[in-house]
Amino acid sequence: MKLLLRILLILGLALGPAVSSTASALDLGDLKKQLDKARQKIDENKQKIDQARGKVSTGEEIEIGGNLVSGLLGAAPLVDDASLQRYVNDVGFWVAAQSSRSELPWRFGVIDSQGINAFAAPGGYVVVTLGLFNLLDNEAQLAGVLAHEIAHVVRKHHLKALQKTMKREFWTSLTVKAVSDGEDRQKLNELVNAGVQLYATGLDREYEYDADLHGVVLAARAGYDPYALLDVLTTVDSINPDSEDLTVLMKTHPPTAERLGNLTRKMDGKMDAYASGRLNAGRFRQLAKRP
Amino acid sequence: MFALIATLFLPVLAAEQQAIVVRQATVYANASSTAQTVGQVGAGTRVSIFSRKGGWKEIFSEEQAVIGWVRSYQVREGDFAPATEIQTTADSRGFLSGLAALSRKASSFFKSESGSTSSGTATIGVRGLSEDQIKSAVADPAELEKMNQFASNQQRIDGFVRQGKLSPVKIPHFEN
Repeated sequence: MKLLLRILLILGLALGPAVSSTASALDLGDLKKQLDKARQKIDENKQKIDQARGKVSTGEEIEIGGNLVSGLLGAAPLVDDASLQRYVNDVGFWVAAQSSRSELPWRFGVIDSQGINAFAAPGGYVVVTLGLFNLLDNEAQLAGVLAHEIAHVVRKHHLKALQKTMKREFWTSLTVKAVSDGEDRQKLNELVNAGVQLYATGLDREYEYDADLHGVVLAARAGYDPYALLDVLTTVDSINPDSEDLTVLMKTHPPTAERLGNLTRKMDGKMDAYASGRLNAGRFRQLAKRP
Repeated sequence: MFALIATLFLPVLAAEQQAIVVRQATVYANASSTAQTVGQVGAGTRVSIFSRKGGWKEIFSEEQAVIGWVRSYQVREGDFAPATEIQTTADSRGFLSGLAALSRKASSFFKSESGSTSSGTATIGVRGLSEDQIKSAVADPAELEKMNQFASNQQRIDGFVRQGKLSPVKIPHFEN
């Protein structure tokens, strides 16, 4: 009882006279009611702060994403093949057009790295490594890979991850000020640095499964065979997991066999009707300059 | 009877894509889980792939004398022949028709070994893209500008969609 009173007094001091004035009525039922009220108020405030943090405008999102991709391009530049880059942009644009964020300025690229991986950045940026691209056999598989990355952007997985990483104070001050001032420029840099770390450490596993599932639906909506992503995963699964080309992918994604199992279970019976979607192997081979 | 049919098919099958069953799989008469079951193939079984349809592959297992359809992910394509056997040539599908062939193909693309990338020389490959490389990368705004220039637009997409015979389908997202 004494303890309860003390808690109530402290809360009263924090929450103002509305609580403290009634605290003198030492009725147990009343006390409980007040305590509940106080708890509720604290929860509401917490919620408000949580809502505020991580809320970035689309413009800020694009700026953050552009910075992140610029970093990736610094590590591995675009493959020097304009027709290939345009083709990948067409496939990606078409798949992204089936999403709820079709209005983003979607940009896609194949980067000159043998590592087998693909990356997405907030705001609509997606890059695929040449190592992964070379494993693909048709347009539907490319669409499947891009759709997985598009899903990360649409579902704001990176932003959500950053929201968890960065301290609460960081977000509250970022949303108050305009990005144009110097202090927020500094904050943006902090955010970009944290984002770069994400590429090396990976997103939560649940986000990867979510992107797989969301991605196959986007690919199917675009008229592609949604099972093509499963083919890509099967291919990746067949490569020696100790291969250095797979190091980052394996570290940042759930085991490929588990992704395959999860995806197949979830798709079972739901996607068979769309399995006759296009593969467009001929066009892919031509543009990928395959024999 | 089945053995006879299988024998008749054998010369043809020899040229088909080789694969290995990675998970115990039910073999169906058609590419559908509601089709009649014609058998089972265990993990590790070597099979030949005739054709593909959506998430399905039509396989033949000499070992278990069965022809039918299995889920795509249950078999892994590739050249799993012992070293003494002659490697079959890559079929027109190419992908995974031997990872050795793939790595040969890949290595012919790249002139240099790890880390020797220099900005502006996009023809030189980066071996892997290691965690350290990602973390220590210096932003390349010029390359980002280049990426922006390749962006698609509605006008380009119309032709792309028509040429690729792509028709959009209405499908709701399902719960994870």
